[in-house]
Amino acid sequence: MSVGASGERRVRVCAARELEPGAQRIVSVRGREVGLFNVAGDLYALHDRCPHRGGSLCRGPLTGTTTTDEDGRTPVYDRAGRILRCSWHGWEFDVTTGRALVDPRIRARTYPVEVVDGDVYVVLRRDEPRLDPDA
Amino acid sequence: MIDCDVHNSWASARELLPYLDPYSRDCLERGELPGGRDSFPHAHRPWLHPEGFERTDAVPPGGGPPGSDYGLMCEQLLDRYDLEYAILTGDEAIEVSTLANAAFASALARASNSWTIDRWLSLGDDRLRASLVVAPQDPAGAAAEIRRLGDHPGFVQVLVSSGAQRPYGDPFYWPIWDAAAEVGLPVAAHLGGQGGLNAHPHGCGPPTFFYEAHALLCETGMGHVASVICHGIFERWPSMRFVLIECGVAWLPALLWRLDADYKALRKETPWLRRLPSEYARDHIRLSTQPLEDPPDRAHLHAALEAIDGRHTLLYASDYPHWDFDAPDTLKLPAGWQERVMGENARDLYGLTRRAGDAVAVPA
Repeated sequence: MSVGASGERRVRVCAARELEPGAQRIVSVRGREVGLFNVAGDLYALHDRCPHRGGSLCRGPLTGTTTTDEDGRTPVYDRAGRILRCSWHGWEFDVTTGRALVDPRIRARTYPVEVVDGDVYVVLRRDEPRLDPDA
Repeated sequence: MIDCDVHNSWASARELLPYLDPYSRDCLERGELPGGRDSFPHAHRPWLHPEGFERTDAVPPGGGPPGSDYGLMCEQLLDRYDLEYAILTGDEAIEVSTLANAAFASALARASNSWTIDRWLSLGDDRLRASLVVAPQDPAGAAAEIRRLGDHPGFVQVLVSSGAQRPYGDPFYWPIWDAAAEVGLPVAAHLGGQGGLNAHPHGCGPPTFFYEAHALLCETGMGHVASVICHGIFERWPSMRFVLIECGVAWLPALLWRLDADYKALRKETPWLRRLPSEYARDHIRLSTQPLEDPPDRAHLHAALEAIDGRHTLLYASDYPHWDFDAPDTLKLPAGWQERVMGENARDLYGLTRRAGDAVAVPA
């Protein structure tokens, strides 16, 4: 772990080569389960708890969703590899924003992710509660 | 806490082979199957869940479908929520109701029940109770199966699908009610069997989308409730209870209001009834909670639940491991209902003994 200039804490979680495009994995970051996602080369991290009913959000499938064609009737597959569906009830979240598709006011907790010298870091806020007693 | 809808599954329908008579075994082993070698013979509903209907975190690490791994079931449900009892409802077995060959359907139901005894009720886990699945299109065969295993202490109800050829109060089914009454088991209908032999589950014709159809599946529950009341099932078999599983709840008050109103004018059609339809429902019909309706204002839900005395008629159910699972700590029940809905109503219905050390003195 390192402490940034503004006091946030960076926690190394894996090597960048372990997160190829399309990758989805869950890591433990100081006592909290965090899902890591590589969407077309960009990395995202979400807290593994669905804001709907508390299910394991990040164990759900990483898929796409639909929008409609100009005729307004034909479903068109969209945002492939960006939409995380909760493992319990299937609510859809865009991993790049953490927002629920059905209601963007509902947000999954997201964390900034940084890659430094080939290592992936999840950035915790300075006031993030310490969940891991051994940390 | 007692969970009244837990789906235990086989890893492959071929697990039933040892329990089948030679002819039925040959059909399962060599005959046509709807989904490949490991699939269970049944007619599938024409609405396919676009994401699959299982909780995706419930896939066993060693393979097989969700609900087939007892260890994972313990981890995700029985131990996690400290259940006192789980009422197993099987998974595909109730789909025998979709098969046109009633004798084969009953053979599969018998095999499934024997498999349930060997595979689940013999685990030595006293939290588990099971449902005796029968093929309702074969009333005589169903009655025989109820009499074959109805006295087994592990089975606490007779189970059929909510999809049916006709509503369950119809005299066609009376051999089933008679046998269930004889062995002292309630009869339950679980959401399912929405295809094949069974009448169309939606009154005005087929919906298009899965969720559209799913939201409307309370219709089958409505039909059965009206039927069992109007046909006087609870006059003919006064100790009988009818359980609706996974058909929703909040529609029931409106249906009972309508039945009561019409009965007052037209009771001459059903002179065997001696009470209002809503009074039979209160005393004889129980509903599982999942999927409990979830309006933005919970007062709206509570008004509906109070209208059917939900405190005494609702049974908590999770539907583990399916996609619309209701965790016990997320239910929006009225204050003071927890003890009864989360356990005591099921205990009374199924005659489940209280374990030493558990809380006592529950207010009625």
